Amino acid sequence: MSVPRGRRTAIAVLLVLLAGAPLLALAPAAPGAVRVAGVSLLWWYTGLVAPLLATAITIAVLVRRGE
Amino acid sequence: MTALAAAAVWLQPVLLATLALRVAAGDADAPWLALGALIAPLVALVAPPRRASASNPVAAAATAAAVTLVLAADFMVAADAATLLGAAPWLGVALAAALSLLVPLLPGARRVSAPALAIAAGALLLPLVSVALTTGTAPWTAWSRGGLRPSLTFPETSGWVRDGERFARPARLTFAEGQRVTTLTAGVYRVVERDAAEPTVREWRLAAGETLTLRPGDELSVEAGARLRFEAGRRVPGAPASGIAWADAPARSPSMLPAAFGALATLVGGALALVPAPRRGPPAAAGPLVLLAATAAAVGWGVYAAATAPDLALGGSLLAPILSLPLRALGPRTGAPLAVLALVALVALLLTAVVALRARLAAAAGSAPTRWAAAVSLAAALTAAPLDPWRVLALGLGVAAAAGTPSLVAGGRAVGLVGSIVGVAVFVALAAMPSVDPAMGSWLEPLARYPALVAMPLGWAAARALSAMTGRGDATQSIVRK
Repeated sequence: MSVPRGRRTAIAVLLVLLAGAPLLALAPAAPGAVRVAGVSLLWWYTGLVAPLLATAITIAVLVRRGE
Repeated sequence: MTALAAAAVWLQPVLLATLALRVAAGDADAPWLALGALIAPLVALVAPPRRASASNPVAAAATAAAVTLVLAADFMVAADAATLLGAAPWLGVALAAALSLLVPLLPGARRVSAPALAIAAGALLLPLVSVALTTGTAPWTAWSRGGLRPSLTFPETSGWVRDGERFARPARLTFAEGQRVTTLTAGVYRVVERDAAEPTVREWRLAAGETLTLRPGDELSVEAGARLRFEAGRRVPGAPASGIAWADAPARSPSMLPAAFGALATLVGGALALVPAPRRGPPAAAGPLVLLAATAAAVGWGVYAAATAPDLALGGSLLAPILSLPLRALGPRTGAPLAVLALVALVALLLTAVVALRARLAAAAGSAPTRWAAAVSLAAALTAAPLDPWRVLALGLGVAAAAGTPSLVAGGRAVGLVGSIVGVAVFVALAAMPSVDPAMGSWLEPLARYPALVAMPLGWAAARALSAMTGRGDATQSIVRK
């Protein structure tokens, strides 16, 4: 039984979103420390953007009964 | 199983409390741990269900060990709560263990658990919303204010300054500036003075009310349960040097990458092994939403604690940011009911978690009540050891990942068994390395902290290789769970 394409894509996107956090935080020249509206890019990403995207993707996959 | 019930396995009080404390303390790894705590269970919810052939005795035993370790980590939080409330730690453990034994056996516990989880996550968010509205401070404004502090000092209103507070666990405090510390419990206090080329170690036997004068660079060792009072306006020992250091954690460097990926691999692998696959359909949206609310609440508690009271992380108590923040931010009249609400939410999370963990144990190793009783008893006994709750949780998730995930890619039960054996053997060898060789190379340290980083892929590789050799593998099959 192979994993349906939608789920496979969702898992890949979730893992890429997850890997983005340490890469943003630990990359040379610290791009995660750049401030946007007073908050670091790293915390905008890990505290808002990635969580909302990941939740939306997961809900989109879970509410579809077909796969 | 509903997505909410599946999420209950993941939303352990120890996970949320650790996140809050790490964010409050400005730990370098807090941002990716916070994201991992959310995305790991989401990956598990999206992954397809496991076939019956994916289970094996080694994976079942590892699941039982994981459930025990996760319970032990939760009980350590209960011990912290008891210490914060002025009771003996064992009392918190005994109460949590008794509830864990009884509640899953109540009729209807599983039915009530899912809505209770949603209410508990909402209740954990409510005090934060109240703090935000009362102080007129949005979370991003609180973060920004915390990050602009010139130094992290004890405010006049701090409990550490007025009546003194207790240390929930042993601590080593490094003082950035001179300070007089008053001991409120008698005991032996060890000070390492670093003002000369060779450090000088002094041990002071002090009675309650006596004072220690510490100089910049001195290091004070404090036993769990010791109660100390500090001076207002002085820097919080062990805290980041400034708001910028809290926000940007100077310790962050590319050399942290192995440990970062180790932690994330442990979280994702542990979630795949422990979080069951839910039923699909529109109601399943509740699972991810509750996970988002709970992890957002944990991060929010940490951010507001850092901005309002940077000394809350001092005692090492996982619950200090959650239980003390409302009192500090809003005063006792408004803050006390909110602190009680947060405590009730955490107790509810513990109860929904133990109901889910018992179901997980029953699915893996049988539903005999004696097995659950043994897991709870062993978990309670483990709290007697001086262990870090996060380490215990990571070991639990890691062993489940090392044993459980190789069988997910295996083409049959025997192949899965071999993968699980290899995964567990590598996990145990790496986890035991610091005990066997305390002088091991520093490059091995991330692997010893998060053995699943290596144990999982080696287990997978063994299962894949055997599948290929026996012709029972399916190259396109991956991540199937029950």
